[in-house]
Amino acid sequence: MAEYYNIFTQVQVAGHPEMGVAGGGAELGRIGQPGFSKLMGWIGNAQVGPIYLGSYGLISIVSGILWFNIVGLNMLASVDFQVGQFVRQLFWLALEPPGPEHGLSIPPLNDGGWFIIAGFFLLVSVMTWWVRSYKRAQALGMGYHVCWAFAAAIWLFLVLGLIRPILMGSWSEAVPYGIFPHLDWTTAFSIRYGNLFYNPFHALSITFLYGSTLLFAMHGATILAVSRFGGDREIEQIVDRGTATERAALFWRWTMGFNATMEGIHRWIWWFAILTPITGGIGILLTGTVVDNWYLWAVEHNFAPSYEPAMGAGGYVTPETGN
Amino acid sequence: MAKSRQQIRDEMTGLLLRGGLIGVIAFAAAVAFMVIPIQIGKIWPTTSIQTGYRGTGMDVIRFDTQIAATVAANTPPVLGAPIPPEAGAPLAGDAYPFAEAAGVGNLTVANFDRLNAAIAVWVAPEAAFGASDGYLQAISVRHLEMTRAINDEWDAHVGPTGVNCYTCHRGESVPLDTWFSPEPLNNWAGPNAMFQNQATAMNYSTALPVDAMQTYLLETEQLVGVNGYDSRNTTGEPGASIYHTYQTFSLMQHFANSLGVNCTYCHNTRSIADPAGFTPQWASAQIGRAMTQDINNTWIVPDLELLPPERLGPLGDPAKVNCATCHLGAPQTFNGESAVVDFPELVSAEPVYE
Amino acid sequence: MALLSFEKKYRVRGGTLIGGDLFDFWVGPFFVGFFGVATFFFSALGTILIFWGAALGDTWNPWLISIAPPDISYGLGIAPLAEGGLWQIITVCAHGAFISWALREVEIARKLGIGYHVPIAFGFAILAYSTLTVFRPMLLGAWGHGFPYGIFSHLDWVSNVGYQYLHFHYNPAHMLAVTFFFTTTLALSLHGGLVLSATNPPKGQEIKSPSHEDTFFRDFIGYSVGTLGIHRLGLLLALNAGFWSAVCIIISGPFWTKGWPEWWNWWLDLPIWGN
Repeated sequence: MAEYYNIFTQVQVAGHPEMGVAGGGAELGRIGQPGFSKLMGWIGNAQVGPIYLGSYGLISIVSGILWFNIVGLNMLASVDFQVGQFVRQLFWLALEPPGPEHGLSIPPLNDGGWFIIAGFFLLVSVMTWWVRSYKRAQALGMGYHVCWAFAAAIWLFLVLGLIRPILMGSWSEAVPYGIFPHLDWTTAFSIRYGNLFYNPFHALSITFLYGSTLLFAMHGATILAVSRFGGDREIEQIVDRGTATERAALFWRWTMGFNATMEGIHRWIWWFAILTPITGGIGILLTGTVVDNWYLWAVEHNFAPSYEPAMGAGGYVTPETGN
Repeated sequence: MAKSRQQIRDEMTGLLLRGGLIGVIAFAAAVAFMVIPIQIGKIWPTTSIQTGYRGTGMDVIRFDTQIAATVAANTPPVLGAPIPPEAGAPLAGDAYPFAEAAGVGNLTVANFDRLNAAIAVWVAPEAAFGASDGYLQAISVRHLEMTRAINDEWDAHVGPTGVNCYTCHRGESVPLDTWFSPEPLNNWAGPNAMFQNQATAMNYSTALPVDAMQTYLLETEQLVGVNGYDSRNTTGEPGASIYHTYQTFSLMQHFANSLGVNCTYCHNTRSIADPAGFTPQWASAQIGRAMTQDINNTWIVPDLELLPPERLGPLGDPAKVNCATCHLGAPQTFNGESAVVDFPELVSAEPVYE
Repeated sequence: MALLSFEKKYRVRGGTLIGGDLFDFWVGPFFVGFFGVATFFFSALGTILIFWGAALGDTWNPWLISIAPPDISYGLGIAPLAEGGLWQIITVCAHGAFISWALREVEIARKLGIGYHVPIAFGFAILAYSTLTVFRPMLLGAWGHGFPYGIFSHLDWVSNVGYQYLHFHYNPAHMLAVTFFFTTTLALSLHGGLVLSATNPPKGQEIKSPSHEDTFFRDFIGYSVGTLGIHRLGLLLALNAGFWSAVCIIISGPFWTKGWPEWWNWWLDLPIWGN
């Protein structure tokens, strides 16, 4: 087993920074003098920067900072502006949506108004960032696959924060901004709607989530295993199949009976990854609007297991009492 | 090129040795695979009880040290047996001027003294009848009435263990685990956010609302359940809100922590509102909650005027009871032993001595 | 069965761990090997036992078939077949099948002269399975803590084991694992998208180069990890997702029995916060 596994770079080579391919005027919008990070260089490229700013990027960053600050200041206010408590309670703090009594109207600032405003800035930030992903691909004459993948994630984001609350007639259904509070929301959502494990789209989404993790482990491991043959030069291998691709394909063909091509594997992984938020978003959208209790829905559709006999007291001895 | 016999013999030997070596390693690994976790598991041993069908994951797992500590903490003082009254024995009502008003006039002096001495141990010396002037006496009278009422009316929850003063007080004037109505955590927020999103003892370090006890153990309007009975919402009304669900979940954190158990003690959480998944303990908890509301509304809150300011909470309310007040982290008080077997005076105003 | 156009030259003898030439052949596209035979044996036996377990139950609905572990009361002993014993044997078969599959992947890698990354990565997944069905039950002293083999019944187990700790989302290792799962999926979509965007440009354009890939990501987010780096990153993200998942469940029960929110008291009660 004394062979190099190619997980970490053994010798980092430094040269002139790459200032980027020209295309669509992109070179005009790039800012920053690139730096080099030896830490990053252990895993990937050491070069950090330049970055393309652009108008959409600028709007996105500004809007995003506004969102971040509104959330943060509301959190700080909730602990009466004590910075010590802010740090201590940080994971518990939140900016909450309004109560259900306000419906879809704009509530008072302190009763969800700030939440709506912050949400608006986050929406602008995310959508302009998406436009940015489109335009950067366009400028370089590349396909829009990254941009459409981002759109899949935005679908889920919009369902959770905009579309479903509108369909439910209440902003109170939206997800709070906060670390533990958004996890409380997740559990409360599942409790309220009869256990989301019985939501078939939720199950599909998890399948694609775990499947994506499986596939990246498979693909990452495979490419590293054939990196000695230049397997990581994927574009080259796609247009001119070399022994790296051949061995990688045969590994899987001999293991499981079928294989992908060097291009095709990237289609598999792209679909698995984007179907995670797409099916997840559908599952969230149907919850509360169409189905009010997923367990009961499962019972009606004959896929909820039953456990006979149930147990409880009489089936065990409580250690403290001995009976 | 064909192999010679010797070559083949060598290959077979090599194969055998190699296979044998691999077999030994595999066997050793399999043994280690199994033995090591068992040995590690013995360092901090746990005891599990299974509360549901096998494989459902309905279990309550606790460290043996935890269980031992709970048992030790719930062992009440032994305070002697009742004295069956003999004919002509002097009555407390004749011997002590306060006894009649306190509801203990009909006890024999011997049993009254015994009870009073117990109260001094269970609560505090000042709480015993006639031991001090002022508000404590009035509270003691009311609480004796309350104890008898709990043992009589709420035996669906407390019987056959029953309750005595020690159940709540545990040797303290004020029970260890009580609660005050909460002030808002967030002074900047409206009603949907003012009672949540900070970690406190009241919400057991979650970000859930701290007004669950107020809503469910004192006020009686809001239902705990948040689920409907249909897979579709056909009522035309929106169902329970997310905040309502947070409040219920927060109450459940209290239930579980108070008894030292977890959600699966009462529920099959895959269908948390489905009666087919409830254990018998669920029903006990329902009755316990109704009892707690009754205690707070009948015996605690009405006695507000009796209490001095230092006994009140930030909103000027008295310390109220919740599940932890009696249970203090144990599934059954006093490890299931009876609290009243030696104190029939606490069960009824007309005690029956065996 | 037809070989791939380039396959013949790779079908050489050698690379096996056990058995030498005896099992060094292919059935259709599948490489056999000693471990292929072992996998087939364990899988077949395990599948037959699953069908037997299903027959003992009351349904053939694939969503509802469930083979449950024994009651806790059996401890670490062997239970009667219909009372969880089947589950135990199936678990042994599963281990046999998975470990054989991994070792078969090793043989295939050796034959092709490539690294062992795939079977090692698969080993992480096997260890996660063993954590759930062997290590954790052994630490807790009962096979009954394992999860049932059933599509929806295993989800009921997940729900209940989660609620054993009152609010499982507060488990710090679980938080890490979930973050790794979502980050892996994000990175996967970006990598698939990037390669496809370079090799499938808009109509009329030329195929793009790795320089374009790097440029796109530097323009987009200021950094490009590179063609080799993304595969290291993806593998590491995915393995961490599995690793921290195993950690999060093995600490729940054997090493922590209270609600997970309560664990955070160490932070909330630090002396530096004053009162």
